Amino acid sequence: MSKKTVEIPLGSQHISLLEPVRFKFECENEKIIRVDSDVGFVHRGIERACTTKFKFDTISTVVARICGLCAITHSLSYTVAIEKLLEGEISMKAKYLRILLLELDRIHSHMLCLSHTCENAGFEAMFMRIMGDRELIMEMQELVTGNRVQFDFITIGGVNRDISSVKVQELRKTLTVLTQKIEGYIEEFENNWSLSLKFKGIGALSLENAYKFNAIGPLARASGLKIDVRNEIDYLPYDKVGFKMQSRSGGDIHARNTLRLDEIRNSIEICNNILDGLPEGEIITKIKGKPLGETIVRFEAPRGELMYYVKGNGSAMLDRVRIKTPTFACIPAFSDIFVGQDYADAPAILASFDPCLSCTAK
Amino acid sequence: MFDLKKYRKKSPWILHYNAGSCNGCDIEILASLSPKYDLERFGVINTGNPKQSDIFLVTGPVTFRSRERLVELYTQMPEPKVVVAVGSCSCTGGVFRDMVNVEDGVDRYIPVDVYIPGCAVSPELIIDGLVQGLEILEQKGKESEKPFKLYKEPEEIRGVLSKRESALSLDAAKELNSDKN
Repeated sequence: MSKKTVEIPLGSQHISLLEPVRFKFECENEKIIRVDSDVGFVHRGIERACTTKFKFDTISTVVARICGLCAITHSLSYTVAIEKLLEGEISMKAKYLRILLLELDRIHSHMLCLSHTCENAGFEAMFMRIMGDRELIMEMQELVTGNRVQFDFITIGGVNRDISSVKVQELRKTLTVLTQKIEGYIEEFENNWSLSLKFKGIGALSLENAYKFNAIGPLARASGLKIDVRNEIDYLPYDKVGFKMQSRSGGDIHARNTLRLDEIRNSIEICNNILDGLPEGEIITKIKGKPLGETIVRFEAPRGELMYYVKGNGSAMLDRVRIKTPTFACIPAFSDIFVGQDYADAPAILASFDPCLSCTAK
Repeated sequence: MFDLKKYRKKSPWILHYNAGSCNGCDIEILASLSPKYDLERFGVINTGNPKQSDIFLVTGPVTFRSRERLVELYTQMPEPKVVVAVGSCSCTGGVFRDMVNVEDGVDRYIPVDVYIPGCAVSPELIIDGLVQGLEILEQKGKESEKPFKLYKEPEEIRGVLSKRESALSLDAAKELNSDKN
């Protein structure tokens, strides 16, 4: 730090942050010239507890508590890893229900991010509007699983609750309402003058830098880097439910927001397709045995690729559970984006990343 | 003249700190501020400044690194103040209890007035807890005006300490009291 620069901290407790993270911005006049980040405030030691405290069949509820926003992806990744080790086959209906919940979770997570970005850009009314409409998704999740946030819906061998025809009708109705709301947002995000002042051309990540800093998830797709784990995996039938790769060019906050809106539209489409063609069958199949050997499972969480490495030794306790979370991989790209931006824009840029620190620190 | 006592109850400002939670309770706090549940009808405003806030919402089981910030934020808040522990893990540690980096609940570090259990807490329960906290806030405001002794009888202090134990189990609390006698 030289005499000309000022060091401004953001965090660990700040009005624009949902969770504790500390950024130290070194500023010259208004411009940020260097960023230092500290993400380990919420480290709880879950990976270790998974191998010492809990038996393998209860861990899916523990890893769900890593992150409340992508809880379903965490428990699903772990469950699929165990199913791979035990060589169990689950029914097609359970697979479809799993995708349904994953996509509902993605919609609500993206909507939360959009509303939070608007709030940090100073547009309180839009925040309230999106948060109000987000309740539709929360109601749908409560309808299907019985809980609003931490639904322990996925279990080894399938899912815990069946979905009745009454619920399917209710879901279809809500999805139709939601589609109209999303169209309204797209209009607002594209054309609103005050939002474009705060979003267009700010916090841009170029395609080369996205490659260089190993960005993943919506952050990379907004820069034009077409990576999505949903396109690559075969444990869930994503190719049959109408998944389409979304990408945008530009890489600024506006591109990220519109990309999220595109993904929400695609997710709604996937949900509708699932409800149309839900196969008959059992929702749960019994899988016996103890995990032996090691495996890797990847899934697309709302923020990017989530990777689980599970190693079992033939007993009820596992040898190792390693979790690589999306935000952790994106931190170098975050630090790059901040450099050269105004300090006043920092909260909005930070919210547009949609960082999940409780995932990162575990 | 500006009557602080009156408006404190009509418009309590909240401070929210995440002490290692999974975000589940935090997004439910945001949801309870949103139009469907609308905490703002009680005058509640989410503020980032501890020096302007009356109610402290804590989520999470208090991790090793967040405990200093937790106590610091608590001490920066002006009297009277109410602490609300949101979620099972901030009440007792929940699923994170006995993990390596976890301190098993907020009340190991700061006194808690309202416990809201649930994983994740539903917005209805958050509103319930906050309204209960408002009554405690008013009571504390009245008590702070009374003349008081700096010296406290040991029994009184023990009564405060055993509150948590009695919430967990009555027998444990009795044992604790008998040990001290």
